[in-house]
Amino acid sequence: MVGFLGPNGAGKTTTMRAIFGLTDLDAGSVRWNGRPIGSEERRRFGYMPEERGLYPSMLIAEELTYLGRLHGMSAPDAVAATTRWLERLEVADRAGDKVESLSHGNQQRVQLAAALVHDPEVLILDEPLAGLDPTGIDVIGQVLVEEARSGRCVLFSSHQLDQVEDLCESVTIIDRGRLVASGTVDSLTTAGAQRLAVRVEGDRDGRWAAGLAGVTVSENRGGEVRLVLGTTSSDTVLDAARAAGRVTKFDFERRRLSEVFRESVGA
Amino acid sequence: MRPAWIVAAILVVAAAGRLWRRRRRVGARTPVPRVPRDRRNPFGETGLVAGREIRERLRGRVFRVVTALLFLAIAAIIVVPTLRTAGPPRATVGVVDGSPALDDGLRAMARRVGLTVRLVDVPGLAAARSALRAGSLDVVVDATRSVLVDTSPSPTDTSARAAFVRAVSLGLGALGAYARAGLTPSQVAIISGAKPVAIVSLQPAKKPTTASETTALLGVILNFIVLTQYLTWTLMGVMEEKASRVVEVLLATVRPLQLLAGKVLGIGSVAMAQAAALVVFALILGRAVGSSFVHGAAPLVAAATLVWLVLGYAFYSWVYAAAGSLAERQDQVQSMALPLSLPLILGYIVSLVGVSSGSPSTLVKVLAYLPPTAPFAMPALVGFGLAAWWQFLLSVLVSVASTVVVAVYAARVYRRAVLRTGARVRLSQLRRAPSTTR
Repeated sequence: MVGFLGPNGAGKTTTMRAIFGLTDLDAGSVRWNGRPIGSEERRRFGYMPEERGLYPSMLIAEELTYLGRLHGMSAPDAVAATTRWLERLEVADRAGDKVESLSHGNQQRVQLAAALVHDPEVLILDEPLAGLDPTGIDVIGQVLVEEARSGRCVLFSSHQLDQVEDLCESVTIIDRGRLVASGTVDSLTTAGAQRLAVRVEGDRDGRWAAGLAGVTVSENRGGEVRLVLGTTSSDTVLDAARAAGRVTKFDFERRRLSEVFRESVGA
Repeated sequence: MRPAWIVAAILVVAAAGRLWRRRRRVGARTPVPRVPRDRRNPFGETGLVAGREIRERLRGRVFRVVTALLFLAIAAIIVVPTLRTAGPPRATVGVVDGSPALDDGLRAMARRVGLTVRLVDVPGLAAARSALRAGSLDVVVDATRSVLVDTSPSPTDTSARAAFVRAVSLGLGALGAYARAGLTPSQVAIISGAKPVAIVSLQPAKKPTTASETTALLGVILNFIVLTQYLTWTLMGVMEEKASRVVEVLLATVRPLQLLAGKVLGIGSVAMAQAAALVVFALILGRAVGSSFVHGAAPLVAAATLVWLVLGYAFYSWVYAAAGSLAERQDQVQSMALPLSLPLILGYIVSLVGVSSGSPSTLVKVLAYLPPTAPFAMPALVGFGLAAWWQFLLSVLVSVASTVVVAVYAARVYRRAVLRTGARVRLSQLRRAPSTTR
């Protein structure tokens, strides 16, 4: 599962629309498995656009079946898949209702079902978690994780970086239409200088760290000091902390994804 | 109802879509594994889109109500005139102190006013009065004195019975005057048998309206109602897909032309089925009640009406669909609806006036060859027998050729406009605008 990140206006939605041929490319091409993608590939992709789109006055089950059939499913297969996905997304009791009668959160679940109903190889989701309550985020997040584990390629954009960090193995960050960072969450958050979180009892201002050479203090939260190591080793830092008092915390830390994001886009 | 044209049209569009797609798939050089198609869906995505349109439209309350009203209107138009002419008027006339000569005179007077009479000898005035009151006699003629009726006809009563009563009254009075003047029976017979002289008018007499002309009138009205209703649906349907953003989901898997063609064909199929059902219903009902609607060339005019309904919808539907793709709000649609409907209204009004006046003008004859107005003007000419087969065919060919040109341009507009959201899109903005890549 890949998180597709970038500030507003970076080009995330445009990229996703380009994958489905919904906008022209000025240059370059969209490829899948080394080949330029065409309509046959797109039939095996699932898409959830940023601006949700379903027929408001159509019955939910009929709408999903219709979309499944547009992707090449037979009518019985599309009906069975519709039932399965509505149950899995916990909206099966609304199958006979019109889309317009659902709450925002439930419409979002149906929209995800619309992207999944034809069992796609690739799932492209534009901000699938936006506007959801915690329960909705849990249900949709769980479905996405399971689908990714079952071998489906899932690419989704989001501004909720903590959730992206929890859900995704990889992220791609773009800014003003250009790729600025890409890799697994582990490699991006552990890359660069080593980081430490240290607490010395009785020193709420972190004065002990102020005079350390080769170290940058990035944050001090009530005496818990976060340090970015430059030329100084962690042993030197530990010695300095022990010299200042009793050390109650000494952790090696990785960067938060939000830090990676800010550094990548220069925010 | 599945007329052969619907199947043929879907096949043609599906084949054209495949051809077009193959031409555009220049970039995909390496063969890719294909998603197995549903074998029960031979018309592909276009057929699925058309099927959804048909289901949703037939399910709508507006469709059901409008269809019911149209059927009622057609039934009224056919049945009511036959009620007014349901057989010749009849009357039973009692005669007191009659004679063969009087009987002959009464029958002659009845014939003149279009009344069929049965003459009954009555023994006396008392019996005649009681028979009148009982309703077994309509009129009693007392040969020497008077005409008896239960209720005297009003001066404004124009029925055959009233005319007969007045004629008998005058006739008996005249017979009395002839007797007092001392005319012999042969002289009386000559006077009674007098025939009116011919009335010569300077203006030619208006010929009575034929059944095919009435059918043409109904056909012009039917085409206008059906075209207006279904073209509005096409316009609104495209606009609603854009407004609800569902078009982005759909275009991620189907091509713009497939989506457009499916919508046009789906709504067109419903329109054609409704119109054909109305015409068949009218023909069957007309035959059942003995209406003049089914006589002579009327069925041929009805068929021509349906042909032009198809051609009219085919021509306009692309235009309306493209217009729908430029808007995403009701007020934006309304500002476009009027200019789009102007040629429709022009063709309808001119043709309607031409048919109603009994003589289509030169303007109608010209409009019959212009695709936007031919759906009204050509059925009108056919109804009056003013279009030879080659003229009809020429107009059909002009319309089909124009439809192809319009469809190509409309598809281009649709492809470029349907994913542009926000303010209403203007045609001038689309000339260099990017489109979907497919």
